Amino acid sequence: MRRIKTTREHRIFRFKTALRWICYYLLIFISFIFMTAGTLYKPVILVPLALGIAINNNIYGSAVTGAVCGFLTDICCGKLFGYNAVILTFFCIAVNIVFELYLRNRFINYMIITVIASFIQCWLDYKFYYQIWGYEDVGRIFRKVSLKVWIYTVISSVFVYLLLKLVNRLLMPREHLTIEEAINTNIQTENRR
Amino acid sequence: MRDFIKSTRFKILLAFLAFLVGIMIYSVTKGGYSVSGASFINTVTKPFRAASNRISMSMEGTVDKLSNADKYYEENERLKKQIGELNAQLTEYDAMKAEVEELRKFVSIKEEHEDYMLSQPCGVLGYVTNDPFKSFTIDKGSADGILVNCPVVTAEGLVGITVEVSEHVSTVRTILSPDLSVAAVASSSNADQGIIEGSITASENSRTRLIHVPKKNKLKRGDLMITAGSSGLFPKDYPIGTILDIGFDSNGLSVCADIQPCVDVTRLTSVIVITDFSGKKEEEKDEED
Repeated sequence: MRRIKTTREHRIFRFKTALRWICYYLLIFISFIFMTAGTLYKPVILVPLALGIAINNNIYGSAVTGAVCGFLTDICCGKLFGYNAVILTFFCIAVNIVFELYLRNRFINYMIITVIASFIQCWLDYKFYYQIWGYEDVGRIFRKVSLKVWIYTVISSVFVYLLLKLVNRLLMPREHLTIEEAINTNIQTENRR
Repeated sequence: MRDFIKSTRFKILLAFLAFLVGIMIYSVTKGGYSVSGASFINTVTKPFRAASNRISMSMEGTVDKLSNADKYYEENERLKKQIGELNAQLTEYDAMKAEVEELRKFVSIKEEHEDYMLSQPCGVLGYVTNDPFKSFTIDKGSADGILVNCPVVTAEGLVGITVEVSEHVSTVRTILSPDLSVAAVASSSNADQGIIEGSITASENSRTRLIHVPKKNKLKRGDLMITAGSSGLFPKDYPIGTILDIGFDSNGLSVCADIQPCVDVTRLTSVIVITDFSGKKEEEKDEED
């Protein structure tokens, strides 16, 4: 069934989509700058951001965003270029599919996914960059650095969620229904009553 | 007319006129200001005159503002611009002053060690995010003659070594890292050798460790450790840090010590890279060729 869309609606749709992606990448850029500033331990804010974008957008956009966020994470964390890109691309694709098939776009679901994904990212980082080399007292790195960064990331994800929600509320184009769809939806609602 | 001249009114007016002329003549003799009547009038009218003058000035000011608004606006803009320029100059001056101070320190390195080939002063772009060993990136790279494994220093002491070099950016591994080992010797005795190598626990307090020191040594708290220069990676006799605590290794076979680096590697703004020095490992030069 073809959707009824006027040329104006097409234009608005395209404009809003472009503006939304510009906002996403502006947020990514700001997060990158934030992560590179100063000497204190900071949240890996690009992880919740990539996941939040993946939840609300198509799979290709999610994958590319995951890769971009991963590369930026690699640059600012001084990791092997592409290491985090692979991890985040995988996460974004997985999250996009999971949210499309099984989960609803709710804050609690986003938080659960972010907690799990950021923990895995921190744990892999610890495994490959510290534990594998057998430094003395290496467990301290996990306790004092990895866990701290993970907790910061989880806390920061609340703000990331709110920011993304704001962007989506303003710029996410709404689905338009055909007359037939609208009538059917109305009938179904009436029947339920 | 004749009647008027003969009248009392005329005589009174004439007398009054004569009185005024008299006052005038009296005023002339007194300089015009000390006449008590005038003074009295001045005193009485002073507040009124002041008030009227204020109103008048205010009105004149308003009229002046209105009539010369464009002129004042232009003047204001010009002055604002001038202030902006002066502020910019001041900022530039402060920055240059700081730069000169730093350059002066770096010049002292060259003066003390004539064999060193130094890079231009390198600005610290930023620290590697969440790195417990405080690696950082600098704004100079291979285009500026920097290679991998070049010592990175400040005037105070050794900072680390370059590990990743791109055209315009390099990453520096600091002496807090367990991945960097530097042969060191005590400056006082020039005999007690050991290896300076970072550790996870020491790096939490921005310190490093001296390990593999023979049991028989004369090291004591406060001794300055300098580079031994035996590896060919670091120049000889460059300060690294001072000894804080001395103890035995976990195996009890050798002595180890906590070292407070001469440089606070967590607060760096600029460093310098030693691109060449006498005694540098030859393989590096061969690799370059």
